[in-house]
Amino acid sequence: MMPLLAVKDLVVEFDLGRGALRAVNEASLDVLPGEIMAIVGESGSGKTTLAFSIFNLVPPPGQIVGGEIFFDDIEVLSLGPEELRKYRWKEVAMVFQAAQNVMNPVIRIAEQMIDTAQAHGKTAKGEVLERAAELLRMVRLEPSQVLRAYPHELSGGMRQRVIIALSLLLEPKMLILDEPTTALDVVTQAYILDILIDIRDRLGLTMMLLTHDMSIVAKVADRVGVMYAGRIMEVGNVGDIFYDAKHPYTMGLINAAPSLIGDVASKKPIPGSPPDLLNPPIGCPFHPRCAYATDRCREERPELEKIGDGRLIACHNWWLIQGGEDG
Amino acid sequence: MLVILRRIGIALFTIFVIVSLTFFLVRKTPGDVLQTWAMDLVTAYGMTYEDALAMVKSWYGYEADQPLFQQYISYISGLLKGDLGQSFIYKVSVNEVLIKALPWTVFVISISLLLSFGIGVLLGMAMAWKRKSVLNPLVTAYASFTGATPDYITALILLIIFAVNLRLFPLKGAYDATITPGFTWPFIKSVLMHAALPISAYTFEHAAGWALAMKGSAVGVLGEDYIMAARARGLKERRIMISYMGRNAILPLVTSLAISVGGMVGGSTLIETIFSYPGIGWFFGEALVKRDFGLMQGLFLFLAASIIFANLAADILYSVLDPRIKLEG
Amino acid sequence: MAETSFSIELRRFLHRTIYEPFRIVTRDRRAFAGLIILLIFLLMATIGPEVVPLDMRSNFVERFKPPSWEHPLGTDYGGRDVLAMIIHGSRDVLSVAFLAALFTSIIAVAFGMIAGLKGGLVDVILSLAINAVLSIPSFPVMLILGSVFKITNALTFGLVLSIWSWGTLARAVRSQVLSLKEREFIEAARTLGLGTFHIVFRELLPNVMPYMAINFVDTMRGAIGASVGLMFLGLVPFSATNWGMMLNFAVRQAGAIYLPQATFYVLSPMVAIMLLELGGVFFAHGLDELLNPRLRS
Repeated sequence: MMPLLAVKDLVVEFDLGRGALRAVNEASLDVLPGEIMAIVGESGSGKTTLAFSIFNLVPPPGQIVGGEIFFDDIEVLSLGPEELRKYRWKEVAMVFQAAQNVMNPVIRIAEQMIDTAQAHGKTAKGEVLERAAELLRMVRLEPSQVLRAYPHELSGGMRQRVIIALSLLLEPKMLILDEPTTALDVVTQAYILDILIDIRDRLGLTMMLLTHDMSIVAKVADRVGVMYAGRIMEVGNVGDIFYDAKHPYTMGLINAAPSLIGDVASKKPIPGSPPDLLNPPIGCPFHPRCAYATDRCREERPELEKIGDGRLIACHNWWLIQGGEDG
Repeated sequence: MLVILRRIGIALFTIFVIVSLTFFLVRKTPGDVLQTWAMDLVTAYGMTYEDALAMVKSWYGYEADQPLFQQYISYISGLLKGDLGQSFIYKVSVNEVLIKALPWTVFVISISLLLSFGIGVLLGMAMAWKRKSVLNPLVTAYASFTGATPDYITALILLIIFAVNLRLFPLKGAYDATITPGFTWPFIKSVLMHAALPISAYTFEHAAGWALAMKGSAVGVLGEDYIMAARARGLKERRIMISYMGRNAILPLVTSLAISVGGMVGGSTLIETIFSYPGIGWFFGEALVKRDFGLMQGLFLFLAASIIFANLAADILYSVLDPRIKLEG
Repeated sequence: MAETSFSIELRRFLHRTIYEPFRIVTRDRRAFAGLIILLIFLLMATIGPEVVPLDMRSNFVERFKPPSWEHPLGTDYGGRDVLAMIIHGSRDVLSVAFLAALFTSIIAVAFGMIAGLKGGLVDVILSLAINAVLSIPSFPVMLILGSVFKITNALTFGLVLSIWSWGTLARAVRSQVLSLKEREFIEAARTLGLGTFHIVFRELLPNVMPYMAINFVDTMRGAIGASVGLMFLGLVPFSATNWGMMLNFAVRQAGAIYLPQATFYVLSPMVAIMLLELGGVFFAHGLDELLNPRLRS
């Protein structure tokens, strides 16, 4: 199957004056149509930068300095400003975190919807508002109440749902969701996830879900990509990743997540701290924290290799390691 | 609602305090001012000193032999009826002076405010939007220059260059005295020509300040998430610049508007004097120099009251414009 | 000879109070330029009048002469040397400004401290006063005071100029005191039984110094503008060489603006004021950076 989104060897650097910080370090990724692909990684792993790159919207002082991004058959990074503008939101849209201030504080929700639609040539206000109302109902919000409100008048959970509705306005082919449930209480989290699955089933949307919360991944994802220090370390379907993780980092992530059953004390955090992206270690970026590191790991950086259908791993010693969940 | 009423109450109280202070201040004038004035009359008109002194005294006390407190009461009750007092040198009520002079000052200051704010805000937006352009260092340099020099110096320079040397603009008055007022083109043209230099003086002085303020605010707004999100949504750059950056960046400047009106009105005395423009400031200046305490007091009260209410209006306006703000007591 | 601990301490102290600030201010070119300008004017005001003689006798033959070696800035309507008048006037202008800033600081700190420390009703009343002073524009008030009172020397002039200028500093001092009041070292001082006097002078005042310093320069700048303005209107005629009076004579009385030969006479006080104010602005910027370490790039 042809991937809907193909990222190849993407490199994004931030010029900090005292050096260049590599937020994304030759990352490659495929997202297939109709699936929910979760990208997991700690803060600073580069997930959000990767997401912004798909819009070619990396904020300065960041810059995309290498690699290619193919969406459908569009070469995203070579689009001119006007084409880029039309591509954004129409082909792929983003669901931001509600905690962020992503809506204009002095404009009502209805007008933000109309804004978005009119920027893409749909000028009939009535139609836009009808569609907006429909979408708001889909996310289980009451249009008459929400449309005339200002962003600050809505609760966090309501804002998140408005952001979801806004993202669907132009019927994009893919949604990127950046930590859609962080900063929400557990009950609301479940609610939002429910809505997301509902949308996917009804509209057949492809979704790329960025998160560090493994429990969400278990609930909604079809496939999982694991990101560390700006690189993709492992890719596989959700069952494989959870029960048969091959990369030491992935194993660490799964072991670190507490569950309702089992002993919390047996959960182990990953030792060490995330790498300095200004001066990344030579070789595999994970080797300073890896229990299985060998000399080769310290000198030679492993590339992503395909070890099965849709199964990729970037590790020198993966076949030597006992995989699977501990305890 | 309650909060607004409370604010109005504080404003009125402040005005009351000013009124009382000026009243007692003026009445308690050290005698030597009166004596100097009387001496002026003696030399100018050849009166006897006693006559001159009596005349001077009669001019500014209501009845100088009445106890001070009684004078105060009659003054306050007069105020409440709208009587702002009498001018000694012009022999008319302060209200009449106001009616003649206020329109000119309002005319000049409102146009100056509109121009300087408008130009400043547009410049500021451009400066924030395109940080690297040559506009930035130019305007910043210009701003530090005009910010440092007092406004009357800018006015003087304009007067000397454009009125005296180049003879492009007239030297004094609100309009050419030979033209009868009316809605005729010659009159309107004359008015505009006479107002051009005072308006330019204000605008040159203040526009750059607005530009810098707007730039600072806009730069802050540009760092916000909703600007980035707006771009992700594919909105046109112009729409983002105006409705997303502009509308949010201008909000803090609205309160500064009121303060700047205060500054402009405060400076109007010197500027109108320099251009001999017969607005409130010019009359205030005349009253000051000629020691016309009645006019001085009345005009000052008017000025202070309008500024205080302008500040109040700005606060209320701000809370209306920014849906996030609820007016606080 | 080994360095004694005293000399090490001394060196460290000098380094901190003189060398460091100097280095920070000079790093910013604008602030440095401002400092130089201010020093020149300071020199002009202190030594100038002793070095340059001022002959105030009228000599109508020499009136409105253009600049020459004898009279680098030309002469005024009475044939008097303009440069000498500027130099002598600088002393007047700067002393009035200094006094105004001094009085302003004293009044502002007093109001702010008392309001902040005492709290309660005292604070409410004083805050109302501070708000009143802030909401009413100071220049018209100064104009009125200048008209009502007969001002004959720099001291009274400075006092009059300070009466309505203390609002901003008072407010800043008050909020600083309010925030410091709750902090531990005040609590500690109280428990140790150190009196209010000690708290005010040893603990609070040093923390308020940065605001005072910057406000001092700003107030001086404002006072220069205001004093010249008042003199220009003719309200405070006590010194003929004060730049404001020079402007008054030039523009309003001698009609010098209409005569091209008199350009230097008219321009000199204006340029002097502009330069002094610019110097103040630039230096204040450097001072701000010095006292507010967060602003240093």
